[in-house]
Amino acid sequence: MRLRLRLLTDKVFTSFSMLTLVFAGVFLLVFLGPIFIRGAGAFIFKGTVEHRKVIRDLFERSDGNSLAQEIAATNRARQQLYARLTSFENEMAENRDLRMEYKNDYEPFKESLRVLLGPLPGDPIVVTPRKQYGQTRWDRALVKYKEVMNTEEWDYSNPDSMGQKILVPRRSAFAGTSLERVFDEDLDKDNLKAMLRPRLTFYWRFLTDSPKDSYIFGGIWPALVGTFYLTIGAMLFAIPAGILAAIYLAEYAGETTLVSIVRSCISTLAGVPSIVFGLFGLAFFINTMHVSSSKSVLAGSLTLGLLVLPTIIRAAEEAIKSVPKTYKEAALGLGASKFRTILTVILPVALPGILTGIVISMGRAAGETAPIIFTAAVSAGVVLTPLEAFSNPTQALPWSIYNLCTEHEAVDEIRHVQYGMVLTLITIVLLLNAVAIILRAKVERKLRG
Amino acid sequence: MQKNINKSLPPTLLMSGRTIRLRRMVSFFGEGVLVTVAFFSVATVLAILYFVTRDTIPFFQAEGFHEFFTSTRWFPSREHPEFGAGSLFYGSLIVTLGAVLIAVPLGVFAAVGLSEILPFTLRQYVKPVIEILASIPSVAYGFFALVIFAPLLQGQGGILLSVGFVIITLPILLLIAALITGVIIRYLNTSGKMVVWLLLFILISGSGGYWIWKISLMISALQIDSGVNALNVAIILGIMALPTVVSVSEDSLQAVSKDIRMASYGLGATKTETIVKAVIPSAASGIFAASLLGTMRAIGETMVVWMASGNAAQIPTPWYDITSPVRTLTATIAGDMGEADHITGSSRYHVLFALAFCLLIFSFISNMVSEWIIKNNKRKLQGGK
Amino acid sequence: MTIQETLERDMTNDRIAEHTSSRHSFRARKFTDFIKKDTADDFEKPEAHICAKDLSVWYREVEAVKKINLGIRKGKVTAIIGPSGCGKSTFLRAINRMNDLIPGCRMTGELKLDGENINSPAVDVVALRQRVGMVFQKPNPFPKYIFDNVAYGPRLLGIRHRGRLMQIVEESLTRAALWDEVKDRLQQNALGLSGGQQQRLCIARALAVNPEILLMDEPASALDPKATLHIENLISELRGDYTIVIVTHNMQQAARVSDYTAFFYEGDLIEYGPTREIFTNPRLKQTEDYITGRFG
Ligand SMILES: Nc1ncnc2c1ncn2[C@@H]1O[C@H](COP(=O)(O)OP(=O)(O)OP(=O)(O)O)[C@@H](O)[C@H]1O
Ligand SMILES: [Mg+2]
Repeated sequence: MRLRLRLLTDKVFTSFSMLTLVFAGVFLLVFLGPIFIRGAGAFIFKGTVEHRKVIRDLFERSDGNSLAQEIAATNRARQQLYARLTSFENEMAENRDLRMEYKNDYEPFKESLRVLLGPLPGDPIVVTPRKQYGQTRWDRALVKYKEVMNTEEWDYSNPDSMGQKILVPRRSAFAGTSLERVFDEDLDKDNLKAMLRPRLTFYWRFLTDSPKDSYIFGGIWPALVGTFYLTIGAMLFAIPAGILAAIYLAEYAGETTLVSIVRSCISTLAGVPSIVFGLFGLAFFINTMHVSSSKSVLAGSLTLGLLVLPTIIRAAEEAIKSVPKTYKEAALGLGASKFRTILTVILPVALPGILTGIVISMGRAAGETAPIIFTAAVSAGVVLTPLEAFSNPTQALPWSIYNLCTEHEAVDEIRHVQYGMVLTLITIVLLLNAVAIILRAKVERKLRG
Repeated sequence: MQKNINKSLPPTLLMSGRTIRLRRMVSFFGEGVLVTVAFFSVATVLAILYFVTRDTIPFFQAEGFHEFFTSTRWFPSREHPEFGAGSLFYGSLIVTLGAVLIAVPLGVFAAVGLSEILPFTLRQYVKPVIEILASIPSVAYGFFALVIFAPLLQGQGGILLSVGFVIITLPILLLIAALITGVIIRYLNTSGKMVVWLLLFILISGSGGYWIWKISLMISALQIDSGVNALNVAIILGIMALPTVVSVSEDSLQAVSKDIRMASYGLGATKTETIVKAVIPSAASGIFAASLLGTMRAIGETMVVWMASGNAAQIPTPWYDITSPVRTLTATIAGDMGEADHITGSSRYHVLFALAFCLLIFSFISNMVSEWIIKNNKRKLQGGK
Repeated sequence: MTIQETLERDMTNDRIAEHTSSRHSFRARKFTDFIKKDTADDFEKPEAHICAKDLSVWYREVEAVKKINLGIRKGKVTAIIGPSGCGKSTFLRAINRMNDLIPGCRMTGELKLDGENINSPAVDVVALRQRVGMVFQKPNPFPKYIFDNVAYGPRLLGIRHRGRLMQIVEESLTRAALWDEVKDRLQQNALGLSGGQQQRLCIARALAVNPEILLMDEPASALDPKATLHIENLISELRGDYTIVIVTHNMQQAARVSDYTAFFYEGDLIEYGPTREIFTNPRLKQTEDYITGRFG
């Protein structure tokens, strides 16, 4: 009896610990799933004719004639709508009562149409790109379409709960006017399609296009380049320093107090909160060393480099220490100096292990935000040349993600950009980690066989 | 090939004084470079400490200690600024506490599962999951918390939480019920143990289950006004800290020698008994160190809390109401420096360094403690062999 | 020492080297040896290539090799035997100063190579190790191409020319009796070779720097009998061109390949002399017991 109980306890316990692992896996799926699916929406989506106009006008890429034909077709499809709007306006101009009655409803309606389809005929030319075009994405167009067809109202009839948002069909506001027909004939779904011509679009240039009008149009190229600069810069600094320190710790250092202090400091450094690194970068590199007059890629790289230094040192030391001693003996026995031995035998053998550490810290450097807030990142800017990078701040993926989803003036309009950025960043980091996992598997196989 | 034996007059092996000196100098110089680079991290730690402290002191000189540590009123940008960091400490504390409550039990169980239960072949595939969790950038977690999780919490928060509550408590309940039944049985000493055991077990787990049901109903009725709050952040931070807890715990579990396990199995213990009574006690200090490192990860995290904690410097009433927005130390530094940067030299600028100083001291201490524990543990395990 | 005496000694030595099979002459020689045994200057002759005088090696406070005196003859194979932990490897590693790598290890006394004391801080260890090659117990080729393994030493000496390197590699591999087996796969990883081939590769690698002395620490103990035979044959071939010191636990091996044998016991040199003599007629009971396997 006791035995059965014990076995049951055993079962429950083991299955619970399995459950936690399953939980970790499930969370990963729950986390990555939406990001991958919606992030893919930045690259593959139903683009409307407006998207193609944007590409033609702002990025000067077009497939020429076919787009012109397409625009002509959509203009034809829009023609009747526009004509009816004009005639209703004429009616209003002639009839004062009509004007007084519908003025307050008509202008918002027109505005919502502008958002959906772009400027209406006769509109003055505006400078802001986002006002020059309608909805570029079919999914957003449908949302805007809903706003064209309905108005939002708040229902406070139940005093016990918060106000409820209800949608009121807009056509009811224009009931009995000549405009009422518009909602049935010109603004039905079929004609909407004809007016916008959604088409499956593969927009891989999302990665290589610059954003226009603060990310309303275009891609994420400057942020991508900025992240690249910051990562490479951090590595340029952290790799040599990390490997040299690791060589010292693994091959030269004894068991002295001083060395144990060094080791303590390395692990302390690894534990310093990243935001403190950011403050330090600001106070030291910018305000004290004046590596640049204000934020710059250089200052950010140096800060990130310090941040990943402990990771690289540890990984490299581990890798160097796991090189079989026999190799070292063989080389020294042949009359190689210690330096030569390290250079020609130990480092090559330790290389995959060192690379693993490097690749992992590259992922870390690419993804860190807090250290670059005060040292390098800005929310808008152009693509820098490597030379400019020394003294200029840059955009960077992590910072732009933060910025776009918290501080952007039209957060909801550019969800796809945010998701696309997160997807890009995560893909970069995961790819780097995949490389690391493969490298490590290689090392393990080598050490085992 | 030349016959070595007839080699005429081999060159002397002795080096001249000059060569020796030259060699010494080269190796001294070379090692000097290495030492310098290795001491880089020492210099960095000292420099961080120095620069943070240097900019902290003016704040305390100007404002004193009292308000900072005792007041909870945080209004640095008012005409008559108030720098009560109490609410910030509270915010950091509450989200970290929540994160630790999630990360440590889950992490230890996951580590046990990884190192003691999973067969090696499976482990190869599960470990990368943990590693990927560790490698995902914090801003991506923050994005998830803000854009995906917060609306979910706002809409279906109650149901979500109650389901989570049941999933976590149910196995624990069964485990505890089984244990209690076992203890009672031992003292009862009656015949027909099987029936008695079953009755007792059903009774205990039933009554526990009733309470779980009640509580989960209560939770599911919960209305969450805003998805960006301490709870949201605590859950995400818990998951972020999980890999740290798992990997350090797993290391310390692995370090427990095979003999202990074999001895336990040899006495007829089940796997669970071996793990709970033999392996975990030997690895306890390592697991504690893991929890400490996990805590550090949570308390030092910036982006998630900045994006999804609501950033309201307040202590909610009641104080344990985790569904209200809070503001943490890290988020305050990140958020306020942008504005304070222009007024370098003001208290508003220096107070951020004071906050960083507190973070830094905490991370130094917990790092030292955990390192000390790990080192001690290692020595104990090696000495025990 | 007079010229006459020198000549006499040389003649004796020659006879020893020739392994005179006559039981009688053995006895006669043994008598002379008996008188002069255990004195270092016995071997301080042109043909005494390595000469230890009161040589002690310490691991911190532990004296692993205790004040030994012996001379190792040029161009001969000298075997070092003795029970585990008696200091064989320690002595061997003293000869090319590999003990320097072990923290806390130090040497006292004299160890002369061609009359130069190598136990001195002024010694160029790098140059010493180029003259004294070493082959280890476990084959330890670098995880590089076979070619690069052998070329490693010459490259250290500054030889860069590909043709010259190729020539050295071929010569060394040929000497190590490996050329025919690997000539078609010089650009393959050395770890792909069999254990015996790897060990011969290590010997080739050591030969490529053209050393005078070859130290071998149980070079065949990790190999199967066939590979062992290969190595032993190789040692016999190298005899004469190199001074070889080999540590072995295998008495038959010592008897087969060596000209001289030194028996170590707990850090002391117990007996040293021509192999035949040690194996057929050891002077001390201890040696006899060890050789016949009565203790070990
Ligand atoms: N690195 C070291 N540190 C301290 N003591 C050592 C070290 N290496 C060897 N010793 C000690 O020195 C003594 C001689 O060791 P050595 O390796 O020379 O023996 P050996 O004759 O080669 O043995 P084996 O036949 O097992 O190889 C032993 O008692 C050993 O314990
Ligand atoms: Mg040995």
